Amino acid sequence: MKKFNYFLAVLLGLSITYASAQTKKGSVLIKNATVITVTNGTLENSDVLVQDGIIKQVGQNISAPSGIETIDATGKYLMPGIIDAHSHVALDVVNEATSPIVAEVRMRDVVNPFEVGIYRALAGGVTISHAMHGSANVVGGQNVTLKHRWGSEDPADIIMQDAPRTIKFALGENPTRVHGRGRGIQPRTRMGVEAILRNGFNEALQYKKAWEDYNSASSEKGNTMVAPEYDERLQTLVDILDGKIIIHCHSYRADEIYMLINVARDFGITKLVFQHTNEGFKVAPEIAEYTMGASVFADWWAYKFEVYYSTAFNAAILQKNGAITSINSDSAELIRHLYHEAAKTQRYGGLTDDEALAMITMNPAKQLGISDKVGSIEVGKQGDLVIFEGHPLSVYAIPQKTFVDGVKYFDIETDEDDQRLRVSPTEMVEPIYMTQEDHRCMQGVELNFSDISQTLFNTNY
Amino acid sequence: MKKTLLKASVLGLLVFGWISENSLLAQSDPTGKKPITSTYAITNATVFSEPGKSGMKATVLIKDGVIQGVGSNLSLPIETKVIPGDSLFVYPGFIDGGSDAGITAPKDPERPKDFVSSNPPDEIAGITPWRSAVDQYSGDDNKVEDFRKAGFTVAQILPDGGMIAGKAAIVVFGSEYSNNVLKTNTALVSSFRGSRGMYPGTAVGVMAKFRDIYQNTKLTQQRGEKYQTVSGVSRPEMTPTYTAMMDVINGQVPVMYTAPSELEVRRAISLQKELGFKLILKGLDDYATVIDVIKEANVPVLISLEIPDDKAIKAQKEDVSEDVKQQYARVKEAYDNSIKQAAMLEAAGIPFAFTTSGTKAGDVMKSLKTMIENGLSEQAALAALTTNAASILGMSRVAGTIEKGKMANLVISTDLLFAEDSQIKHVVVDGYIFDYEIKPKKKASEEGDGTPAKVDGSWDYVTESPAGSSGGVFQISKDGSDYKGTITLDDPSGSGKINSDLKEVTVNGKSMSFSFDIAAGGMNITINVSGEVEGESYDGTMSVDQFGSFPFSATLNPTLIANK
Amino acid sequence: MKRITKAFFAFLIALLPVLAMAQIDGEFVKPRTGKFLLQNATVVTITKGTLNNASVLIENGKIAQVGTNISADGAEVIDCTGMFIYPGMIDSGTRLGLVEVSSVAETTDYSEVGNVSPNMQALTAVNPNSEEIPVTRVSGVTTALTVPSGGLFPGTAALINLVGYTPDQMYAGFKAVVMNFPSSARRGRFDRRSDDDIKKDSEKALKEANELWEKATSYHSLKSAGAELQYYPEMDQLAKVISGELPMMIEVNAAADIQNALEWIEGKDAKFIFSGVAEGWRVADEIAEAGIPVLAGPVQELPTRDSDRYDAAYTNPGKMAKAGVKVAIRTDEEENVRNLPFHAAFAAAYGMGKEEAWKAVTINPAEIFGLSDMYGSVEAGKIANLIVATEDPFETRAQIMHVFINGYRIPLSNRHIRLYQEFLDRSPGLESN
Repeated sequence: MKKFNYFLAVLLGLSITYASAQTKKGSVLIKNATVITVTNGTLENSDVLVQDGIIKQVGQNISAPSGIETIDATGKYLMPGIIDAHSHVALDVVNEATSPIVAEVRMRDVVNPFEVGIYRALAGGVTISHAMHGSANVVGGQNVTLKHRWGSEDPADIIMQDAPRTIKFALGENPTRVHGRGRGIQPRTRMGVEAILRNGFNEALQYKKAWEDYNSASSEKGNTMVAPEYDERLQTLVDILDGKIIIHCHSYRADEIYMLINVARDFGITKLVFQHTNEGFKVAPEIAEYTMGASVFADWWAYKFEVYYSTAFNAAILQKNGAITSINSDSAELIRHLYHEAAKTQRYGGLTDDEALAMITMNPAKQLGISDKVGSIEVGKQGDLVIFEGHPLSVYAIPQKTFVDGVKYFDIETDEDDQRLRVSPTEMVEPIYMTQEDHRCMQGVELNFSDISQTLFNTNY
Repeated sequence: MKKTLLKASVLGLLVFGWISENSLLAQSDPTGKKPITSTYAITNATVFSEPGKSGMKATVLIKDGVIQGVGSNLSLPIETKVIPGDSLFVYPGFIDGGSDAGITAPKDPERPKDFVSSNPPDEIAGITPWRSAVDQYSGDDNKVEDFRKAGFTVAQILPDGGMIAGKAAIVVFGSEYSNNVLKTNTALVSSFRGSRGMYPGTAVGVMAKFRDIYQNTKLTQQRGEKYQTVSGVSRPEMTPTYTAMMDVINGQVPVMYTAPSELEVRRAISLQKELGFKLILKGLDDYATVIDVIKEANVPVLISLEIPDDKAIKAQKEDVSEDVKQQYARVKEAYDNSIKQAAMLEAAGIPFAFTTSGTKAGDVMKSLKTMIENGLSEQAALAALTTNAASILGMSRVAGTIEKGKMANLVISTDLLFAEDSQIKHVVVDGYIFDYEIKPKKKASEEGDGTPAKVDGSWDYVTESPAGSSGGVFQISKDGSDYKGTITLDDPSGSGKINSDLKEVTVNGKSMSFSFDIAAGGMNITINVSGEVEGESYDGTMSVDQFGSFPFSATLNPTLIANK
Repeated sequence: MKRITKAFFAFLIALLPVLAMAQIDGEFVKPRTGKFLLQNATVVTITKGTLNNASVLIENGKIAQVGTNISADGAEVIDCTGMFIYPGMIDSGTRLGLVEVSSVAETTDYSEVGNVSPNMQALTAVNPNSEEIPVTRVSGVTTALTVPSGGLFPGTAALINLVGYTPDQMYAGFKAVVMNFPSSARRGRFDRRSDDDIKKDSEKALKEANELWEKATSYHSLKSAGAELQYYPEMDQLAKVISGELPMMIEVNAAADIQNALEWIEGKDAKFIFSGVAEGWRVADEIAEAGIPVLAGPVQELPTRDSDRYDAAYTNPGKMAKAGVKVAIRTDEEENVRNLPFHAAFAAAYGMGKEEAWKAVTINPAEIFGLSDMYGSVEAGKIANLIVATEDPFETRAQIMHVFINGYRIPLSNRHIRLYQEFLDRSPGLESN
């Protein structure tokens, strides 16, 4: 018995070293593909070499260093891993809906690496998603950028640790419904939304000053200053004002988008991205001039009143006005075919291939502050790649293999059907879900029993 | 009725212990219950004095609640009452690392008039670190008796509550004449559970709020220190929360996080690493994959003394298609892995103890035996029940083994503890001896006799939904041979409460179901509730037309019945 | 006072045309009918192969001729050189016209109160002026089945063409009574009923359905025997299924439910169509054997089970078609019905093949609805529902150049396009901000 335990302990000891090791980095040489770099054109019959997770060479006739796997991609397309700038994948909680400002909550606290949605996104070529707090609050929680390292057990291993901090804001119907109409507190109107923002930032300025005063006085002898109250909510707003956090703001109507631009300008905030932004096309010049652009649906509209006056040409108008524009999913389903969603900018607005593909690679990378690391096939960038059968913008395209940091996490040929990482030991029959619960902005909120009327209204985004 | 009789018979069998002070002060006892001596010896029994030591034939002598000696040549004082132990097996009394036996949840405080859900008072938001389990504990609760009968002599009792429920305490399951409290303030009981409809409502809010409280307690302490030493400093505000958190930030009291799943284990450890408190993990159900993480963090663990039920495994059929077979195999694998977890902890060299919180006393032995069948050594199982628990609870000096000078806490069984038909005959707690009837083999379980459960009265109910919980009261009264009733619930179209009549209240044996309508968004929605009544509790499901189903539980409120 | 007001309004109204002329700029383009010759295109007929350099003549709302050397006499000639002519696409399951803004209850008309309301007519509630109709039809979807939902028998679905000013002008000649087959599946991730409860619920619902069927059968036989029964509109409508006047469209998705539904319809002398059929691939052989056609979709959808391969919904139509099931594809959408070609294309890419996928949005639904003499292919004599595109209209980047519905030339404009035209180059731009 003792001996048996000893061996087990040794085995476990090994797994400890493994678990505390760095996230997996792989090496691979992909040969003879049509390489869509996004930033430097499309290279026919070319090779891409990834070593230890980093793209080392892009060109022709690259030979594999010894021990590195070679994949022949003749007749296939290779593009950078797709980046979804708006997702709620792999989160155990989406909405802390209870206060108009919850800047202190961190989605990285509730990352769930076992959600099969990660694998399904990989099967659609998506390697990075921006897992966001919901849209119930004017200032929501801090989002987390995930790398889809499927199979990881430690949530920390799927978090893109070198991505900057981002935070969710939300304007319009959702926060006014949840707080104003649901709980009888501000904001109930778009006026109230602006007031919550301005009040919050002004309080944050006071908070910052209080701590600065305290810190400078505390070195003086005999001072009677005591430390102010600690408030991570205000501290996070201070960090936004100091340019340490990128705002990603759920927004629909042109007036509210314009309002936030004005608030941001008044407070000197420049790191601002609009999400959804269905009426962004109406204020495209302003978005282009003052912000980091907009991340939009390809064609969603009319699911709620504030998106009734939408157009599927939104992305094209924004793009042609010079705004950084990305196409996102906000959905467990759409995230699986963002390449197709991006192609809709060609039907609705005639964008070029590179413009369309940038909307799911380079542009979201810029909006997430990671464009120096991912978003295109360039030497020095991280080895996040997808091999497609067919041009990725073709409706008939099928993703074949998806790599994150040079490690293959999806392979259409060899993967098992059942990808669940965790199975309940007490499951009699596997649940069948007919109306799939998408990952949504209002996830959790609408199912609050006391908010059942909102369920009826079915306002999810 | 049956239950009461049974209880009485058990009580009747007790050999009553004694109370030292009382025995000195009160000489007469017209009840005839007073024991005649406080000195006992279990003679010539097979004694397992601590986990890992083999049993030896010996006599255990106890006096005034303390073990006086263990050996074969003890001289027994003249006043010794001898319990012949020739066919008996003696083990150290079990210690429960986290128990809710005897705990009654405190009433929810009234919401103040100016209540704002985004910034509720701590007490209403489930932040009550000043509460003590002792105030919620009653030693004469049936559950205490049940666990004592299962061999538990000492337990860390946990207060009921929200994200910070309060402080745990250690009690002995001893005589009804003593308050039995060994130690208070033993751990801060915390969970990731949010509050219903207010901040913090979810795990992510709870974690943020915990950080906030922790940091502000630190600052409050700093302010307090400065206030003591520098004149001219404004008086620091000492809220009950910060005051009660001081010994946590100072490392005197550990935080006991309820963390059933592997992800919650990781969350608790990451909070600990960030803030630096002492951590105990409690209530672990799924942890096979985080054993290395636990080991690295060097955190004490109280695993759940419960194994997953095997209904699903047993329901698997033979004649199914290939893909269903594959699904079955995965569930079976998950089940098999789950019951091996305790063995894996042992193999990893992590000393662990148990929490019975949420476990039925009657399932304790079954769980232990299943763990043992799946690789846990008997020695490690016993250690989890005794020495490890004593060490995690910081009471190794007085409990956990059978040694001279330790508390007289013993489990005396008819066979080797984990042998198939072994039964517990006596449990000695704090020197008191509790005797239990030894039954011939149990008959097949009794079926319910189909008589309708008693359901009339006022029930407090709670429903859980992904966004948190909601609740209120429903009343049921007899209406001829039928039932009628009303329910109050949160107004779906805004704030406040509304009433709705219950329809189709049906009671069939233990099952009760009813439905009611609410108007929301210009539509009428019918809500169906069905479930089982078990004594004064109701465990059911609420299904809301097309929107899904949610757990619905309720407890019968006895005072309101009495008022009727 | 009253009289004065009235007179004043009469005066205003008299002035209106004058004012209007002064204020209205530009001309509104309406759908218009006539004789059109679509010249020199590649015609993908679906049923009769692909014709190169061919033309299609539209006259009196119908396809008059398909072929080469068609006389242009009196026709408005539309040069289609380099382009492709396809039949208009049919979406076999939508809520088009019944919903304007899905979150605004006042604008949704697909779910009536009551569990048994087969007499609710979707066609009645179709709003011919819904903004969603012009948005949909410029994508090449010319015809859609619009379906009520909620409850056991939610109502009667109707096939509409996406042109017309009244529901009757839009009506395309097919109705079906809808049944939601009692489901043993969970309704979503938050449905936490126990397996037993789910089973009980579905058994209860099935029992109810059986009783209702029984009742409708009696109602029908008494009625046909000449009995004068009390007004009972629900039974009256169900009796139409029993008499064979209307088919019954059964919404059923989980594999076990499909099997139950197959068993349920066995021996019932009526016409049945299955819709949804999300797990059809698990029991495709059984559906094929029973000869029940399916309206499958959505295709761009998640698998029903976590353990399923990620592409289970993509491959479902193809797997059923391969097993011999007649498959039509639906979006199950309202404002996004325009994505029908993309749902079909995903089915095509994931095993169904382009040809079969095209049939699933043209001739197959036409046949299932008993309208193959009118819709579903480019053939002389059929109703002129046609699209002209720069390439395969399934392809995302394809541009739809012309749409004809019921012989009407459809203006390629809608809210989305008008907003594009107004805002692409906004004036003023950034000035005076």
